[in-house]
Amino acid sequence: MKVTYNWLKEYVDFDWSVEELGEHITMLGVEVEGIEETGGAFEGIVVGQVVTRDQHPNADKLSLCKVSDGSQELQIVCGATNFQAGDKVALATLGTAMPVEEGERPFVIKEGKIRGELSQGMMCSGRELKLSDDHEGILILPEDAPLGQAFGEHLGRAEKDTVYDLEVTPNRPDLNGVLGLAREIAALTGNPLKLPDTGLTEAGSPVEEIVAVQLDDADLCPRYNARAIRGVRVGPSPAWLSSRLEQVGIRPINNVVDVTNFVMMESGQPLHAFDLNLLAQAEGRHTVVVRRAAAGEKFTTLDEAEHELNSDNLLIADPEKGIALAGIMGGLNTEINEATQDVLLETAYFNPQNIRATAKQLGLHTDASYRFERGADVGCTDWVSRRAAKLVVEVAGGELLAGAVDAFPQAPESKEITLRHARTDALLGINIEPAKAVAYLQGLELELISQDDASATFRIPTWRVDLKREVDLVEEVCRVHGVDAIPSTPPRGCLGQNEFDAQHDVLAEAREILTGIGLDEAQGQTLISDEAAQLAAEAWVGLEYPLSNDMNVLRPSLLPGLLDSLRNNLTRQTTDVALFEVGRTFAPGPQESRKVAVLLTGRRHSAFWQDDAAKLDISDLKGVVEELLESLGVFGVQFVRRENPTILLLESAELMMGKQVIGHFGQLQPALGKRYEAREAVYLAELDLDVLLQRRTTNKSFKALPQFPASERDVAMLVSEAVTHADVLAVVKKTKPANLVSTNLFDVFRGKNVPEGQKSLAYSFTYRNAEKTLKDKEVNTAHDQLVAALTEKLSATIRDT
Amino acid sequence: MSLLDEIDPLKAEALIELNAATDQATLDRAKGAWLGPQGRFTGLMKQMGSLTKAERPLAGKAINAAKGELEAALQAARDRIELASAAPTEPTDFTAPGRRRRLGKLHPLTQVTEDIVKSFRKLGFVVADGPEIEDEYHCFDALNTPADHPARDAQDTFYVETDGRPLLRTHTSSVQIRVMKEQKPPVRIIVPGRVYRRDTADATHNPTFHQVEGLYVDKGVTVSDLKGTVEFVFRELMGPKTQIRFRPHYFSYTEPSFEIDFANSLTRKMGKDWLEIAGCGMVHPAVLEEVGLDPEEWSGWAFGFGIERIAMLRYGINDIRLFYENDTRFLRQF
Repeated sequence: MKVTYNWLKEYVDFDWSVEELGEHITMLGVEVEGIEETGGAFEGIVVGQVVTRDQHPNADKLSLCKVSDGSQELQIVCGATNFQAGDKVALATLGTAMPVEEGERPFVIKEGKIRGELSQGMMCSGRELKLSDDHEGILILPEDAPLGQAFGEHLGRAEKDTVYDLEVTPNRPDLNGVLGLAREIAALTGNPLKLPDTGLTEAGSPVEEIVAVQLDDADLCPRYNARAIRGVRVGPSPAWLSSRLEQVGIRPINNVVDVTNFVMMESGQPLHAFDLNLLAQAEGRHTVVVRRAAAGEKFTTLDEAEHELNSDNLLIADPEKGIALAGIMGGLNTEINEATQDVLLETAYFNPQNIRATAKQLGLHTDASYRFERGADVGCTDWVSRRAAKLVVEVAGGELLAGAVDAFPQAPESKEITLRHARTDALLGINIEPAKAVAYLQGLELELISQDDASATFRIPTWRVDLKREVDLVEEVCRVHGVDAIPSTPPRGCLGQNEFDAQHDVLAEAREILTGIGLDEAQGQTLISDEAAQLAAEAWVGLEYPLSNDMNVLRPSLLPGLLDSLRNNLTRQTTDVALFEVGRTFAPGPQESRKVAVLLTGRRHSAFWQDDAAKLDISDLKGVVEELLESLGVFGVQFVRRENPTILLLESAELMMGKQVIGHFGQLQPALGKRYEAREAVYLAELDLDVLLQRRTTNKSFKALPQFPASERDVAMLVSEAVTHADVLAVVKKTKPANLVSTNLFDVFRGKNVPEGQKSLAYSFTYRNAEKTLKDKEVNTAHDQLVAALTEKLSATIRDT
Repeated sequence: MSLLDEIDPLKAEALIELNAATDQATLDRAKGAWLGPQGRFTGLMKQMGSLTKAERPLAGKAINAAKGELEAALQAARDRIELASAAPTEPTDFTAPGRRRRLGKLHPLTQVTEDIVKSFRKLGFVVADGPEIEDEYHCFDALNTPADHPARDAQDTFYVETDGRPLLRTHTSSVQIRVMKEQKPPVRIIVPGRVYRRDTADATHNPTFHQVEGLYVDKGVTVSDLKGTVEFVFRELMGPKTQIRFRPHYFSYTEPSFEIDFANSLTRKMGKDWLEIAGCGMVHPAVLEEVGLDPEEWSGWAFGFGIERIAMLRYGINDIRLFYENDTRFLRQF
């Protein structure tokens, strides 16, 4: 919504600068999105008249003239010869900055002496005014040019003004007109609102004799007001009208249509003008029928687009055909045209929800629909009609028929709201004197009906559709009083409570563990493609109306997102990537759960100048998983190898706690990796964080540090490839060697001296007793038992150490 | 030649050899050659038996003194060689980069969220959470949103293809309703989380983004309280010299409603007097009534803002999509 500084000033007095006005509007709750200077060309240049023209006493080619600017005579030295006393000229007065083109130096008219004679201005040539190339002589204006008129105005150019582009909040449709805004300023300044005169000269017969309105669907159109003007001359608007519309971004069309647009911008109430004679008659009268469209009824709006309507769409019709899409756009068949003589002026109130639905259905959004769907003012209809009728007659001539056909079957009940002053104070946190609060509200034209010491009751004007209950009045008091005037009080003490609070910290802890071991945190898109989703899940939650196929489901896993991030890095030459994400995933139900996922690829450490960095392998990933589990306090997780590859993972394991799968990890399928630009192995893990957090133990207790030395025994043995570390641990656990405190796998070897299908596992076993130093003999006895058990249970061959 | 006369020359010869050794092997050989069982100095001691009883004490004393000297020289040589082998062969270039154990970085959105959470926690707020797949009731109806409000359109909001047609929450305000329905005031929560709007991704939009919601409901909560808390939090976040401005605005679930603008060196650098940063207001009585709280007894305020916006302002990031690409060159800057 655009308004101009000068336009506002027509309705209310204020002595603010351009910036101050913007500031005040903003602080009333209407954000100023832009401020632009417009018009103002030829400022300082007026229509002047040459009074006398004499020879310059000191220069043959110059003349010495007396020129009137309408209020005084100025002496001007002039070099042109194409004029004489009595001519009207374009007179640049002192201080005028002459129009310049880009790159030209500014040129300001100053008082000075030319060849000894005072010169107090300049009579301009077409070229000096940048109006033409003519510099043979000065511009001679028509004889009837009014003396003293601003030259810009004489040319029909807009005066200097400032246009404010405003963001009106949807609850305040009354501010979609200049008057609405002026009313706010009136409340703020205490100055009266100056409504334009709507006193009418009605010359014709009563309008009812030739116009009828039939409201078939009053639920969608509670009020329809019609006036008629006969004998107009349709043509271009006068300059004041067309330039004002242009300033606020509306293209002038013709004088009648321009008036309807002008009054809409002024009042916020849209209007429509029909060519009265194109409306069919019923019983001898041009009849407007307000009705729902028939299913499939076709209608062509004045933008020449044809629409197929249904019975939810409200149509303005005559007895034969539709003539306007109610509240949205007029029809091509009845628009004002050059031949129009008689005009029917429509001012109506339409149901906002219905207009919004139709505009949306047809994809047709207009200045009118914008206002109606936010809620017009049902009370202002006739006033606006009068205002427009008066202006039509003023700019297009014709005679206004007497009265109006105002179909308004049921005036809405007026709203009354009581404001308790204590309530204002309690919500705002300050004391506002009751008299002040009442004055603020009266300033906004809320009508005081009654009051006592504690409260005041107001009748709400029809245009304030946003005022529904007491708290809305508190807000009005707050706005006019100014939120700046409410002091800030320091935050008060009070402890909040919520179950999730502790969880938030655990999530933060998980992130800190992973960053602590060198992984960077990623945040992926929640919306991914079903194609990516199927890599990591069998089922997912789809969107009803997705933006694109790339984002048509909610992620069932964080892994596809990490793979996207991987690609973003690899294509930008970052080949060492270690990322994790802690985030939500979604499963059918729908169910939400939190997961943590890890992606590793490239080198274990970034390159260092002294040595080669080794490539990451699956053990690095497992190390990350183990560190995370242990640091979070999750113990007893088993890693169970998957027998077969998955779509996503070539070789992988599931993480089990008892019978519950809490996650998985493994190496990405290389073929899939290629799709994400990966040439090296990529390792992925994903764990169910909600489950981890349920199963963590945070109890920690101190165990005394060992007092006595430990003895170590190393064993290297050949076993079948099928034997796992877990198998070894199982044998150790079952054998229970005396004083064994730890079992540590320190080498896995295949190759020289190791038969095909076997591997060499090297373990170091640590024996220690808490009470004494163990003797070699004691250790050996226990260790020999263990070695025997390993040999037997695992069919291991002990290698010489 | 007497045994006594042999001691000094032998000692001198041994000392030269021990002192000359520059590595452990040479030293070990020298030690063996002189002090080992077959060593020459040991040989000298073995000859003690051939001395007369009168000569023995004198010779014994001299030999022991010499042996002590040799052993001291041996230890000194050992220390010298150890030190030499521990010292770098070439001088260290202390300007060369070190071998680092890199810490991973928290995502900038996480960092900003945590900062916000920390500021609020100073004031006794706790973190609350709710589902991202929401229903219309919690996301719109209970928040006093008109039935035909455009935000409900499938054009603007994602609906989920499943029974009951739930939606992806468009704001974290839905959690207000859930929390107020579950717990009695005083309520003092903040809710960081993901929200969704059906916007095509560009430099300033992503269909997913993050918000933080703050809610305080208690007896006697006022606009003054709201201002005080907002100012505190934003000065914590944006610097102590940050100016805060409240501007009347409209939200369906608060009344009065305000937008919050801030000004500091950042906005001046951007050539702006004020920059919008958050929305807020007093919880609308219709919302309180909806969750079963009497607006005559309880009042409260709520405010919300975008985390991406704060992060973009704070770090000067000009494209929101960077947050979701996870380019490690980006992540490691924060």
